[in-house]
Amino acid sequence: MAMAVFRREGRRLLPSIAARPIAPISSPLSADRDEGTLGVRSISTQVVRNRMKSVKNIQKITKAMKMVAASKLRAVQGRAENSRGLWQPFTALLGDNPSIDVKKSVVVTLSSDKGLCGGINSTVVKVSRALYKLNAGPEKDVKFVIVGEKAKAIMFRDSKNDISLTVTELNKNPLNYAQVSVLADDILKNVEFDALRIVYNKFHSVVAFLPTVATVLSPEIIEKESEVGGKLGELDSYEIEGGETKGEILQNLAEFQFSCVMFNAVLENACSEMGARMSAMDSSSRNAGEMLDRLTLTYNRTRQASITTELIEIISGASALEAAK
Amino acid sequence: MASSAAVPFWRAAGMTYITYSNICANLVRKCLKEPFKAESINREKVHFSLSKWADGKPQKPVLRSDAPEV
Repeated sequence: MAMAVFRREGRRLLPSIAARPIAPISSPLSADRDEGTLGVRSISTQVVRNRMKSVKNIQKITKAMKMVAASKLRAVQGRAENSRGLWQPFTALLGDNPSIDVKKSVVVTLSSDKGLCGGINSTVVKVSRALYKLNAGPEKDVKFVIVGEKAKAIMFRDSKNDISLTVTELNKNPLNYAQVSVLADDILKNVEFDALRIVYNKFHSVVAFLPTVATVLSPEIIEKESEVGGKLGELDSYEIEGGETKGEILQNLAEFQFSCVMFNAVLENACSEMGARMSAMDSSSRNAGEMLDRLTLTYNRTRQASITTELIEIISGASALEAAK
Repeated sequence: MASSAAVPFWRAAGMTYITYSNICANLVRKCLKEPFKAESINREKVHFSLSKWADGKPQKPVLRSDAPEV
């Protein structure tokens, strides 16, 4: 009850502090209030000063995180753009069939291990769940393979029975093809699939990352589709060298396609993560700066008010003495 | 699927194309001369932790680490 009264009084004295929610700052103004001799409640300057110091530290930290993310982004961006050339020939050859109807789909969700990167992980999870709803049905089966801690935590809450594999600590070493290909190999060996849908954030620019789905089909489905016609039907017009059969080549191609697409997806997701972290930390520093400005104003006002009160007391005391003489 | 008469040896041994190409890549890396060899081996380190799930529960994670798949 006292706290409620305090808050009302506090609001009268500090009309300009609106509580802006910033994640790291959560402590409300505590009950350290200074009751002057007349029972006037005011926020003590000590409290405001402490708060200013902590906000300033947080601002420095978020600025530093933004710089780190910017430098990491520069490093990964070139590699991500170059890796796009790995899967483009596959799409030119085999076409892209995102709406294909298969019995067993596996949704591979890529996310980050660390947090403070904005909303990218939740958008990826939303798309994965939508894919699940789209592809689940009476004979159809959808399983999840989750890469990254953040998506694991979110998906665990309601889809945990459909998860078949989770992978973490992928970003410990700088991303390279060997690592991603081993991962792709593990997924191929452990999960049965007719179509793999890889969900990741495609990096368009530093402020734009769109969740994208890349579809990789298994060789059996490709054979079936090639009989139907369309892009895949033209596969027969290619000459095959080396004494391998078409089915053989399709299988090699499908595995390699999965590995290449995964590599590109992982790199693009890493870029998007850095970009999102940059913008999140940037807005965080800006909010901290604004909060600091408002706190400074309050601090000065409180300080001046207390000085004025002291002066008034001294002067009225002196004049009372004079009058008494 | 088409006839499996001409299945290459590695497919018959249970390897996927990815494993096969990784082994070949490793062989090429080992053929490099010194400073480049150490750099390229360093570049391609593998590290991640994989855990399979059954009935909504994760099982013990398997750490796949160190040298790239050989």
